[in-house]
Amino acid sequence: MSPRPWRAGAGLLARLPVWARCAMAEVKVKPEVPDPMDIENRIIELCHQFPHGITDQVIQNDMPHMEAQQRAMAINRLLSMGQLDLLRSNAGLLYRIKESQNASKMKGSDNQEKLVYQIIEDAGNKGIWSRDIRYKSNLPLTEINKILKNLESKKLIKAVKSVAASKKKVYMLYNLQPDRSVTGGAWYSDQDFESEFVEVLNQQCFKFLQSKAEAARESKQNPMIQRNSSFASSHEVELSMEDIETILNTLIYDGKVEMTIIAAKEGTVGSVDGQMKLYRAVSPLIQPTGLVRTPCGLCPVFDDCHEGGEISPSNCIYMTEWLEF
Amino acid sequence: MTQAEIKLCSLLLQEHFGEIVEKIGTYLIRTGIQPLRMIVNDTGLLLDQVKKALCVLIQHNLVTYQLQKRGFVEYEAQCKRILRILRYPRYIYTAKTLYNDTGELIVEELLLNGKMTMSAVVRKVADRLTETMEDGKTMDYADVSNTFVRLADTHFVQRCPLVPEIPESPDAPPPPAPTLVINEKDMYVVPRLNLVGKGKRRRSCDEEDNGEHKAKKQKQDGESSEPPPDDGIYWQVNIDRFHQHFRDQGIVSAVANRMDQTSSEIVRTMLRMSEVTTSSGAPYTQPLSSNEIFRSLPAGYNIVKQVLDQYLTLLADDPLEFVGKSGDSGGGMYTVNLHKALASLATATLESIVEERFGSRCARIFRLLLRKKHLEQKQVEDFAMIPAKEAKDMLYKMLSENFVSLQEIPKTPDHAPSRTFYLYTVNIPSSARMLLHRCYKSVANLMERRQYETKENKRLLEKSQRVEAILASMQATGAEDTQLQEIEEMITAPERQQLETLKRNVNKIDASENQVDETIFVLESFIESTVRRP
Repeated sequence: MSPRPWRAGAGLLARLPVWARCAMAEVKVKPEVPDPMDIENRIIELCHQFPHGITDQVIQNDMPHMEAQQRAMAINRLLSMGQLDLLRSNAGLLYRIKESQNASKMKGSDNQEKLVYQIIEDAGNKGIWSRDIRYKSNLPLTEINKILKNLESKKLIKAVKSVAASKKKVYMLYNLQPDRSVTGGAWYSDQDFESEFVEVLNQQCFKFLQSKAEAARESKQNPMIQRNSSFASSHEVELSMEDIETILNTLIYDGKVEMTIIAAKEGTVGSVDGQMKLYRAVSPLIQPTGLVRTPCGLCPVFDDCHEGGEISPSNCIYMTEWLEF
Repeated sequence: MTQAEIKLCSLLLQEHFGEIVEKIGTYLIRTGIQPLRMIVNDTGLLLDQVKKALCVLIQHNLVTYQLQKRGFVEYEAQCKRILRILRYPRYIYTAKTLYNDTGELIVEELLLNGKMTMSAVVRKVADRLTETMEDGKTMDYADVSNTFVRLADTHFVQRCPLVPEIPESPDAPPPPAPTLVINEKDMYVVPRLNLVGKGKRRRSCDEEDNGEHKAKKQKQDGESSEPPPDDGIYWQVNIDRFHQHFRDQGIVSAVANRMDQTSSEIVRTMLRMSEVTTSSGAPYTQPLSSNEIFRSLPAGYNIVKQVLDQYLTLLADDPLEFVGKSGDSGGGMYTVNLHKALASLATATLESIVEERFGSRCARIFRLLLRKKHLEQKQVEDFAMIPAKEAKDMLYKMLSENFVSLQEIPKTPDHAPSRTFYLYTVNIPSSARMLLHRCYKSVANLMERRQYETKENKRLLEKSQRVEAILASMQATGAEDTQLQEIEEMITAPERQQLETLKRNVNKIDASENQVDETIFVLESFIESTVRRP
């Protein structure tokens, strides 16, 4: 080949072999094709970077050459796998990384179950009633029941009987401690009112106050004051000041104790808002009254009794018994 | 007038005055004010009988009369006054505690006779006392008069209204019924009488003296044929004053139960000082300064002024609110809250009735409702710390017996039951009235039972009376012991047993009637105090 003067452009191309010429013609300026797995991993990394959640915008900024369709596909895949949380904020949609162990739990569940689980989780301490779950999730009742049974068997949620309405069951997460308003606080154990416990405490407080009153009577005549806080070791429950106050209130309603409020300095034990409640044992105002010392005062058939009838004073069996004392 | 009250009144009248009086009294209570003609027509009794019965009733202040405009007289029965007959034993007992036997007999005589002149009372009481005294001793009229004067000074007896002094006008015919008037000032003024003499025994044991006594008696009768100096001035028992006294007793004992003996003595002193200055319906006593109280304390109590002041402050600060402080002059002015005290006593009575009938847990719920006024069912369970099922049961039981009532507060205009609040509440005056009615019926029941028991054993009682009469007459004629023994054995041992049982039962029923009457008193005073408030 004689050396020809080099001419740019067509000549060069013409001198290439045919196969190279074809390949060159097909090559365009193509953006690099990211692997779908890479997209997802990148998104996950971004999520880890921004634990509060990332918007669509952030992902787009990071990978500007990704098409919207591919982005959406990746995000959907991550969501369905349960690795991302979809949240809505006023800026738009947010994607947040989900905790890994929960993610593993929910692997086998479907969307509806996840939704229900989310609602129950949001209810927190107080738990939520099945009808409320239905309102929030708009799912039919049968579906809800199925899902709840499913979740319970997986030990993700538990049913706690409410002390207010004994037929009502509220659902909450398995590891949460039910709130006081549901279980009734210190006076309930396993949804049963502990009446004996209350009675015992009642008696003890009263005896304590009575002995104080006795001691006071020996010495001076000033009114006695009393404040008491105690442990109840048999029940493994600590009693707060409020609990003791409810017990003392029942003693007031029994007429055995009276209460006064005095102004107290801030900082003294038991003072609330500059006031302190003082309790004192008292004896009843009058002896049992005259009416109840006769059979008529306590008679259950009093209204049916008249002279000449089946039940009359002349043949009253209660009177006969009473006269034989 | 409720059925129970009418029944009780008729039983009381029958027991104390007999069938005819009872018939007329019951008729008047049922039909209200009636003239004489109507009474005669409707009861079917003779005019003479009706007149006499009305006289008896008027004498005892149980029936009053009024002159109508048309010129005839109408009669009205005082139902409340008739119910007071139940309380006569308590009045007599109070007089005994305050003024010893003399006072007791004076009050008893006045109650039994309705109205009497002072001289008649003194004479009778002296005679009765002389009988009980040992041989040879007699009761002086002066002692009895003194006690009478003391009773009048403390307002336990009062003068009856008198016929006013009208200048004689020969033209106008005298009115068919006089209108009696009494001057406030004169009500407790004792006329100056020179009652000299001693009590006489009714029977003399000595036969020889009989002849002499007979002669003396005739002379004395002749002397006493002239009218006594205080003719026309009749005295009667002042029931309101006794009621005041019972109320004071109740307050003092309540204070003693709640606090200690010394505080109750202080309250008693305060009440004693206000006895004659405060009217019986007043809500508070007159303010008393602490200095006055200190001076009036009974002699036995040597407490220092400061201690008294401490006690008064304690009483004023107590949640009971029986004593209130009304000012600071004179070392602190204190009053006794009478209406509040009556309300507290009535509430305590209600609570005790609930406690005895339904149990102490029901009583707890009852007191809770009294304090908190209106509560929902859930709240009741929470506050009273009673399991829900039991609390519900108790509330419904009390509701069915009308101790507790429901107040509905609807949320929607259609009053749908599922959307209404139901609040439980206690209405004290209405509960008090309900219990008062029950008390009346209970007393009527007790009286009927007593009469029934007596009637059942009538034969036995008559027999024992006959035997006693025979014994007495034989003793008088000087029989031998063996004969007396024979007569006594006419009553066999089981019969004697039966008589013993009967006596015991009758006494028991009597005592319990008095006890129920105490409850009646507390409830009635409370209801009166709520009614009088404007």
